Amino acid sequence: MTETRKIIEREVLMNGTQAVANAAMYADVDVVAAYPIRPYTEVMDTISKLIADGELDAEFIVAEGEHGQFETVKHASLVGARTLVGSSGVGWLYAMEAIVVTATDRAPVVAIIGNRALDDPGAYGVEHNDAMMVRDVGWLLAWVDTAQEAFDTTLIAYRVGEDPRVLVPVGISMDGGFLTHSEQIVRLPPKELVKDFLPPYNRGKYLVHPDNPITVAPQVNEDWVMEIRRQHDEAVERARGVIVEAYESFKKVFGRYPGSTSEIEMPENPFVEPFMIDDAEIVLIGMGTVSKPMKVAIKKMRNQGYKVGMLRIRWFRPFPTQDVIKYLSQAKVVCVIDRDYSIGSPNRGGVIYHEIRSSLYDLDQRPKVLNFIGGLGGREITIQDVEKIIKIGYEHRDTPITKPVYWVGVRGDPW
Amino acid sequence: MKTEDEVKYVEIVYRGIFQKRLAKYIAEGIVYTAREMGKPALSFGRYGDSPERNGVPAKYYVGIGNGIGEEDLIGYSTRVEPDLVDVIVVLDDTLLKGVESWAWQGVQPINLKLKANGTMIVTSTKRMDELVKMVPKKDFEWTFGVIKTEPSFSGLWAFKDDLTMEKVWGAIAKLRPDIIDIDHLVKYVSKKQSSDKRISAVKEAFSSVDYRTIRKGEGIDFIYNPPRLLTWQEMLEGTVVPAVPRGKRNEQFKRGTTKFERPTVDFDTCIKCKLCWIYCPDECFDETPDGYYDIAYDYCVGCGICAEVCPVKDCIVMVDESMFTDYRRPYEMWKENKVKYKEWLKEVRNARKERVYVPGLGR
Repeated sequence: MTETRKIIEREVLMNGTQAVANAAMYADVDVVAAYPIRPYTEVMDTISKLIADGELDAEFIVAEGEHGQFETVKHASLVGARTLVGSSGVGWLYAMEAIVVTATDRAPVVAIIGNRALDDPGAYGVEHNDAMMVRDVGWLLAWVDTAQEAFDTTLIAYRVGEDPRVLVPVGISMDGGFLTHSEQIVRLPPKELVKDFLPPYNRGKYLVHPDNPITVAPQVNEDWVMEIRRQHDEAVERARGVIVEAYESFKKVFGRYPGSTSEIEMPENPFVEPFMIDDAEIVLIGMGTVSKPMKVAIKKMRNQGYKVGMLRIRWFRPFPTQDVIKYLSQAKVVCVIDRDYSIGSPNRGGVIYHEIRSSLYDLDQRPKVLNFIGGLGGREITIQDVEKIIKIGYEHRDTPITKPVYWVGVRGDPW
Repeated sequence: MKTEDEVKYVEIVYRGIFQKRLAKYIAEGIVYTAREMGKPALSFGRYGDSPERNGVPAKYYVGIGNGIGEEDLIGYSTRVEPDLVDVIVVLDDTLLKGVESWAWQGVQPINLKLKANGTMIVTSTKRMDELVKMVPKKDFEWTFGVIKTEPSFSGLWAFKDDLTMEKVWGAIAKLRPDIIDIDHLVKYVSKKQSSDKRISAVKEAFSSVDYRTIRKGEGIDFIYNPPRLLTWQEMLEGTVVPAVPRGKRNEQFKRGTTKFERPTVDFDTCIKCKLCWIYCPDECFDETPDGYYDIAYDYCVGCGICAEVCPVKDCIVMVDESMFTDYRRPYEMWKENKVKYKEWLKEVRNARKERVYVPGLGR
């Protein structure tokens, strides 16, 4: 435990998208490229208002579509501008080519993904498959669960992505509706403290500039791709240590651990949030806003004598493999809640389910893993749903798993 | 403590676009005032709504922790909408007729989610006894409050700063001091923007809000049958739903509660040009055997395009929706008694309210 300073913060009611926009203002971004789509839209609404109000001096470029939007920030980032971009659902998909090259060209763009169900059918609500589309191509990916964490993680994203040891873009995901459009109290630190946390963005020898003649992304055919992928893989691995440094530094500068407030205690681990996990026989896993109903349900079930805890994944890339092993090796049953799907995959489970099972494979003593797919398209995962999940997990403490995957509250299946 | 008592919810029912900011700002003020009182609070919109669409009924919520912490409050409130609410604020009296915000739920009674002994407050220039005739009955006692004011409408996404916000806060403080009390409210308003007219608007509403107890079973019968949604085994594959057959209308999604104005037709001056029938985006016009065009009001969203395209002066005129209690069709009324219909037409057209000017509304 390092000593924390007492910092006077302003308490302001804002939703997740407004929190991100305010963090971008704190980070003094240079270029914002925008194209509207719910639920991301309010990020650009708020940024444009901050610019109009004279709070932020930045180029605000409304693109002709998401592909151009993401190309714009990629190029701006390569010439040394600090950038903010974002999208949701099918907008994010439409930009996919630009999103991949942003990573391979190592432009530390910060993107906000307001998670939204993929079309068709049309729905505004949350589903994590949009952001998951880039899980394999070298973006850093975080999932936040409160407006406060959205604010804090946005500042951290610039610090980590722009670090010369990393130079990788960062995607911050937040659940459409439940976080993007829900107002909570956010504690804003004094703005002048930011300079002690976030150094200016400096690309050094990788700056595209007439005085620094370099070529980015030439045609290489079979000669160079392997090495470039290998470098990229190493950079994302190096990001682990840089993330830890950034969280420690955040605490030193702003007087609280990222995501923590006077009301919400966040254990000091950037990658996961363990909750009541020490003696837990059943451990629930989730990402995003589902964590809050999970915690209420866990407390209620603890009062009834159930030994249950939670591990929330905060950083999905790089994946917290060692933390997963450390926290889950003593559990009897792990219940993974996926707000996504991976149709036709092993056991027909969700994406996080596969990642957890893969992380646990090398253990001599492995917990059983159950999967609960739910909350797709903006449907609720309620406290009662989580209580049901805990009970199903409990039933499997000493019995083998015959049905590994459940769909939470889908009409037509028992729930 | 029972689970439903751990959070108190305020539901704000508003008209999309025209009152979107207003609803959000009202919610914000309740949150800050509750926090002044030492209670955790947050707010959220019903995300599936269409608050960006003209007049569509939409909802905003405030959640206030009652003996629980901020984090648990977020846990309880990670919802599309709460199951039950303590207070309902209705920002346009025509919303009392029902709320249909989205396709698959049907037309819901305005006080569907009210808790036993809850409170509903409406902004209206109508008298209490007229408004009571519009509210659906409940099987418990509840309190009905009326803030005497024109429903506040602004243009697209704008906020009309006409003190409605302060009046609503004042009325809640009077009827539900457990949610926000007057002392903390005045303190918050003074802190926010020290202006005498704002504080006096709060106090004025606090002392003048008209209210009475609505008895168990008092009010109108409002039959709400939530449609049964199909299971995955019953649905067609590939994002397919059966279309409405030709010549029929969608029984599942009517959208009539969107309107705060309705078109009236003077059949005596109608030249049967058919333009209203052609241009109506919702196909609300039906040709009559003698070649006039009758209106299905439960499907009309009050967009005003028919009034805009009608070439005859004062043949189709938009009037205030709050004057009507039903969706009776105009042609039928005219056939019944043409003289009486003419008089009635004059009466409702004289009582027109000037709403905010929004392009494309036929004015």
